[in-house]
Amino acid sequence: MADVFAHALRRKSARLAINALIGVFALLPILWGFLSSLKPTDKIVEFPPRLLPEHPTLEHYTRIFADNAAYFIANSVAVSAASVFLTLALGALAAYAIARFRFPGRDTLMVSTVAVMSIPIASLLVPTFTLLSATGLADTRLGLVLLYAAYQLPVVVWMLYGYFLSLPVEVENAARVDGCSPTRTLFKVVLPLSKPGLVAAGLFVLVFAWNDFVVAVTMTSSEAARTFPVAIYFYLGFYGREWGPLLAASIVSIVPIVAIFVFLQRHFVSGLTGGGVKG
Amino acid sequence: METRRAEFWVPYRLIAPAVALEAALVIGPLLVGFWYSLHNVRFFQIRSFVGWDNYVRVVTSPEVLGSLAATAIFAFFSLILTFALGFALALWLERDGRSATLMRAIVLVPYMIAMLVGSMLLKWLFSQEAGLSQLALGPLGMGDVSILANPKSAMAALVFNAMWRDAAFAMIMLLAGLKSIPPSLHLAARVDGADAWMRFRRITLPLLRIPILITIVRLLIHFVNILTFPLILTGGGPGNATEVVVLRMFRLGFQDHILGPANALAILVFLANLALVAMLLLLFRRAGRL
Repeated sequence: MADVFAHALRRKSARLAINALIGVFALLPILWGFLSSLKPTDKIVEFPPRLLPEHPTLEHYTRIFADNAAYFIANSVAVSAASVFLTLALGALAAYAIARFRFPGRDTLMVSTVAVMSIPIASLLVPTFTLLSATGLADTRLGLVLLYAAYQLPVVVWMLYGYFLSLPVEVENAARVDGCSPTRTLFKVVLPLSKPGLVAAGLFVLVFAWNDFVVAVTMTSSEAARTFPVAIYFYLGFYGREWGPLLAASIVSIVPIVAIFVFLQRHFVSGLTGGGVKG
Repeated sequence: METRRAEFWVPYRLIAPAVALEAALVIGPLLVGFWYSLHNVRFFQIRSFVGWDNYVRVVTSPEVLGSLAATAIFAFFSLILTFALGFALALWLERDGRSATLMRAIVLVPYMIAMLVGSMLLKWLFSQEAGLSQLALGPLGMGDVSILANPKSAMAALVFNAMWRDAAFAMIMLLAGLKSIPPSLHLAARVDGADAWMRFRRITLPLLRIPILITIVRLLIHFVNILTFPLILTGGGPGNATEVVVLRMFRLGFQDHILGPANALAILVFLANLALVAMLLLLFRRAGRL
């Protein structure tokens, strides 16, 4: 009896040890960066390194905000929000068409949706910049919004299509019999029922747009259109080997994502498996 | 009759805005890029038609060939290690319960945050100034070695970056596959006396074949097109040791501004991607998702 108990205890502590190891692997770089960002400049590169800051300070955080961080964050928020709304609007229309209508070209459309969402952005960068500079959309926030919408639209269509399929058709049919047009039915009946699907798809776009660095750094050059990740990249050149402000900026970028993630994790995961991932 | 004709066009009207946006910003750039790749371009102005010259220049350039080798090394090791770790995590965290749920969330954090930020944090972790590498390697007599200054260890750091961030993606994809295996199969095999390894070999692996292949192809697409990790973590260095092909393309286009060859390389990378995407589509079809 005692043996069984000891065995169970050993199993439990082994499980705990492995989980702790996984936790350290995943979170140590973030935690280490966060703790370093709270140290005064001369203590950051102290050897041997101390894990905890002796005299925690927010000086690096005040410094990046003195260097215009708030403006770049506002740019990121504006671009992300606009991308979410544009993508959801266009995505809902297209997904509704695929979910509720049988029409010539529908299969081609579905295959190209999956194909386009699997094409990595990297191979599009140079040609896209070439096109945007020819049309005057380069170095504008509008250009970024349109690109983010274009890149995330296939995933959103795919996610919303799946969601619409799971809704009962009877309500819609009733609305149609009462004389609602298809578009009106979509907006008045289907979308109000689709809040979880819209939240999941919207989050997907939001995280992509907030995190994007590659598209923003190649398509914008002026401070006016600069988003926060690009600003962090420029801090890398600006502050050189001063790690304090760099780490502070990194942590500021992480906070909203982690907050969203803590409260809405389940919504996010559904997008990963269903659709494609770009990055 | 009139209403039915009107009805016919409804789905097309619904998809039109989305199709227009994709045509303008995904198909459009590829056409423009292809056009530019056939010309001599200076300061964003097309000068003269040069045919396939840019392509010849690109595929015979030692820098591009070197970057292809770096891409192959990076993608190969990243794929194996990321997939293995992601699979292990999926099997380990498959069970229900609060601790597994919490651990899945923790593993996902590096995946959720911006790639730029993740690579920045790792750059700090690996940097000599942080003192951690000195602390870890000092006892081995390699105290003054900077991880990112040596070609081999810099590549290893890059692979670590890939593993650290993307194992979570592999895990999520495989977890979804594991969930679709009916538990009754495992139960029945258990009753028949099959041990854990046997059940893994005979039930889990065969039923997970398509999800495994989809995960591998999607990871491969991601790694072949990697830009942020090397741009931030190693800057392509030391020398050109970690300059992968997309980083080379990025530099041709956005630092050297030679848009002819840059677009030619972009089109070539796109064609390689197209082959991988075609594989993915076939797998999706096999999985009944298309």
